[in-house]
Amino acid sequence: MYEFSYVKPASLDEAAQLLANHDDAKPLSGGMTLIPTLKQRLAQPSHLIDIAALTELRGIEVTAGQLIIGAATRHIEVATSMTVRTALPALAALASTIGDPQVRNRGTLGGSVANNDPNADYPAAVLALGATVHTQRRAIAADDFFQGVFTTAIEEGELITRIAFPLPTRAAYAKFPHPASGFAMTGVFVAETGGRVRVAVTGAGPGVFRWREAEAALADRFAAESIEALVVDPSGLNADIHAPAEYRANLMKVLASRALRAILNSSEGAVA
Amino acid sequence: MDAKVIKEEQIGRSVPRMEGAAKVTGRAEYIHNIRLPGVLHGKMFRSRIAHGRIVSIDTSAARAVAGVHSVVTGEDIQRLIAEPYYGPAFHDQPVLALHKVRYVGEPVAVVLATDPHVAEYAAGLITAQYEELPAVFNEVEAATSPIHVHDELKPAITFPDLKHLKGKRGTNIALDYKLRRGDVEAQFASAAHVFEHEFHTQHIMHTPFEPFVALAEPMDDSITIHTSTQMPAYVRLEIARLLGWPENKVKVRTAWLGGGFGAKVYVKIEPMVVALALLARRPVKMSLTMEEQFYVIGKHATTFRIKSAVTADGRISARKCEVFWNGGAYADIGPRVSQKSGFTSTGPYRIEHAQIDSAEIYTNLPPAGAFRGFGIPQLVWAYESHTDIIARALNIDPLEFRRRNILREGDEHPTGTAMRDAEFEEVLVRISARMGWDQPFDRGTGTKRRGRGIAIGVKASIAPTTSFALVNVSADGSAVLFCNTIDMGQGSNTSMAQLVAQVLGTSSERVRVTQADTDVTPFDMGTLGSRSMFHMGHAVRLAAEHAREQLEALCAETGIEYQDEHSIAQAFRKKFGMQAGNIFGVGHYTSRYQPADHDTGMSKEITPFWMIGGTGIELEVDTETGHVTILRMVNVVDAGRAVNPRVVDTQISGAALMQMGATLSEEMVFNEGELTNPSLAFYKIPGMRDMPVAIENEALEAETRSGPFGAKGVGESGTFGVSPAIANAIDDAIGVRLYSLPLTPEAIYRGICAARGEPLVD
Repeated sequence: MYEFSYVKPASLDEAAQLLANHDDAKPLSGGMTLIPTLKQRLAQPSHLIDIAALTELRGIEVTAGQLIIGAATRHIEVATSMTVRTALPALAALASTIGDPQVRNRGTLGGSVANNDPNADYPAAVLALGATVHTQRRAIAADDFFQGVFTTAIEEGELITRIAFPLPTRAAYAKFPHPASGFAMTGVFVAETGGRVRVAVTGAGPGVFRWREAEAALADRFAAESIEALVVDPSGLNADIHAPAEYRANLMKVLASRALRAILNSSEGAVA
Repeated sequence: MDAKVIKEEQIGRSVPRMEGAAKVTGRAEYIHNIRLPGVLHGKMFRSRIAHGRIVSIDTSAARAVAGVHSVVTGEDIQRLIAEPYYGPAFHDQPVLALHKVRYVGEPVAVVLATDPHVAEYAAGLITAQYEELPAVFNEVEAATSPIHVHDELKPAITFPDLKHLKGKRGTNIALDYKLRRGDVEAQFASAAHVFEHEFHTQHIMHTPFEPFVALAEPMDDSITIHTSTQMPAYVRLEIARLLGWPENKVKVRTAWLGGGFGAKVYVKIEPMVVALALLARRPVKMSLTMEEQFYVIGKHATTFRIKSAVTADGRISARKCEVFWNGGAYADIGPRVSQKSGFTSTGPYRIEHAQIDSAEIYTNLPPAGAFRGFGIPQLVWAYESHTDIIARALNIDPLEFRRRNILREGDEHPTGTAMRDAEFEEVLVRISARMGWDQPFDRGTGTKRRGRGIAIGVKASIAPTTSFALVNVSADGSAVLFCNTIDMGQGSNTSMAQLVAQVLGTSSERVRVTQADTDVTPFDMGTLGSRSMFHMGHAVRLAAEHAREQLEALCAETGIEYQDEHSIAQAFRKKFGMQAGNIFGVGHYTSRYQPADHDTGMSKEITPFWMIGGTGIELEVDTETGHVTILRMVNVVDAGRAVNPRVVDTQISGAALMQMGATLSEEMVFNEGELTNPSLAFYKIPGMRDMPVAIENEALEAETRSGPFGAKGVGESGTFGVSPAIANAIDDAIGVRLYSLPLTPEAIYRGICAARGEPLVD
């Protein structure tokens, strides 16, 4: 780890000001990716601006048909919140499968979404639910937000403040975790919101993506059989030491089917 | 009878672990926690190429960093030690790379600094120029490759069967054990059935949660080495040899070990810290990271070609075994693994015609050596998968096929040694009884298919070896055992204390066991290969008996009836007029052994005892993903008499679960010799969530007549059957046979696709 200054601002404005004043400052939330990166000397920020405790970034509430979660909300809070478990049980269930207890106790929603790790779980939910990512400057639609591996629409000095999830009619997430890291080798989030079906896939490709063929097939017929009839082309999917593209292609279908079955077999639409 | 003289039997008592409270409250001493004034921390710069000549090493930028004391290379080491090569089997491993590097990750230079972070930072500024050489990684290729990892073989004098390799050039074969019994080829030509298969295992790492750590403290005319080692006496011998010093100028001490599993046998980083401390004239500490452990030592990857002739009535008449052990760039104790385990390659079966070729082979990978089971799990994986395939092909129940061929008491093992106190059949009987093998079994439905499998393996003890022990009885009747057996979590201190108490007629809680310190604890070959309960157990028993003889004489002299610690205390007080004095009991034991004949590989006494372990598995396969859930794991071993049943139980489960990780998920993945997953985030060892749904362990009610109080070693037996039992159960569940470890979901799914004629293309 290189030397840096640790700063804990009292307000979001102060945090933004600090980020604007120091070119090499980085915001710190749960630190689940940033701290290991620093330890490996892969980053050399001048300042770490600790935003985890800012009240502007906290809170879970349901208003106007949307579930709104503050960016600094930890995974464990999403997993156990009665508000989330009632309004959007699939999201609470997703949060309960992230990493391990240590990660869930530190990691935050905003941190995960801003980092956009290609194997992270939350991006699948944000994209499939058509959520809106709010920053201190603007609101960004999920479809515009994720732009590939570790890349998002976030600009310099911009901080995610909260994420607004439209409440789906039914939704579920199914995941095949990497046995060691707990990241999604592949994860599929299926959601039907306002009569439209969206399917988002994480872990299988270079960044979270919408699986349009699955969406079209499910729009025709909302059943696991619609998924099973699809042919997934493995070209373009991830191939690494953990699994080849062909195996991930298989997982996409299996997990999408399982998410569908979970939705159809459960009135609550919980996770498979 | 007077109630006072009825003493509780100490053997067979589940005495609670003596260090338990200290460990769970964080008070137990570990080498990592030692702080010495003036200490320098060493951090390594490692080779990034697999094979090459060192042209130059640029350490100038590292030396310029504020806080750096010095930077040391192999040539600097040579100023201190002219021939700085170490190793138990071959003197082939340089303290720091000299002239050549032979694997990615090999230590090339060390930065010494007062702050370990400064040392690490400076090590990152070192660069080296190499003339790259072609490298060889696969063990079968390396056996005949024109690429040679070492120009010339340099066997150490320790092992007579390596002498003939001295000075040999143009080879990567570091040991070639052969067994020739009968005529296998004639059997293959005439047998009713012949089966031939090839199996593979992968390179894995021990992952002790206390990584390697050593601290060398130079004194006026001696050196003290604080180190996390399984073999303090050997460390002393090897350091004394390297320095040309007498043994008594080298003091080696340990504290509790946070796991060893064979990684910490012989010497590892000790020569490096000693050389650095003597060069710097200051104490030097090196604590490796979890990542660095992957570059120190691992478990042999293997290729095993096995061929069996089977008669029409299902008896194995001949077996031919060709085993290639991937030893990596330095031999370490690998040649012992390939020989001591190699001669058991035919398995626990009565086979009249047998042929074994078991070769330790150098490659340009990190070294491989001892690993819980000492090579046996790799062999059992192959021969018990092979055995199951044969049984299924002949339509014989796999249990029945094993029982038909299993070695029984008095039978001759292919090496020519008769089986004694080796309860193979009883292990099979107990596994099958616990599993209800003859009962109907729920095979699952749809995408969840269930199967079950069994496997059994055998291991010989490393021999000949020697243990010494010393029992010091104080004037209050309490005793301290001085013994070099290292308690690295296996509970040996508690068990050894029980042996002392049993002989003295006191309670185990009144016996304390010292940590190893070669200045005071007597010689022992080392804590490895499940040898301690047998060898050190005998030495401790003899030492305690020697003490008891003297105590009885003291009591007779003072007119006190010898009963327990109270009578001992009375006798001391009467003799010396106060609570004063000591009685020292000493004992030593060397196992009986007859070396294998060089040409036939045979011996009438090839091991002092046999270890036997078997596993039964019930599992469920998710046919859509290849994911396996172990529903039930039944481990049964013959460990002789259990000195401490609870310790024995945890040794069985610990060994079996460790092997389960080696079976299902662990794998060091190399790309052109470069390790791609040296991190616990990518290298999966089992955690609590990966445990079998149910696990049962049983140590047979057995007795090893040649062992102390009927006991023998148990640290490894639980590993033997796990891998093939799982593979056999997978085959039983879904009709897919796998020949390579690990059995990952992807590998299983790949097998499922191939079986339905739709192979996964890469």
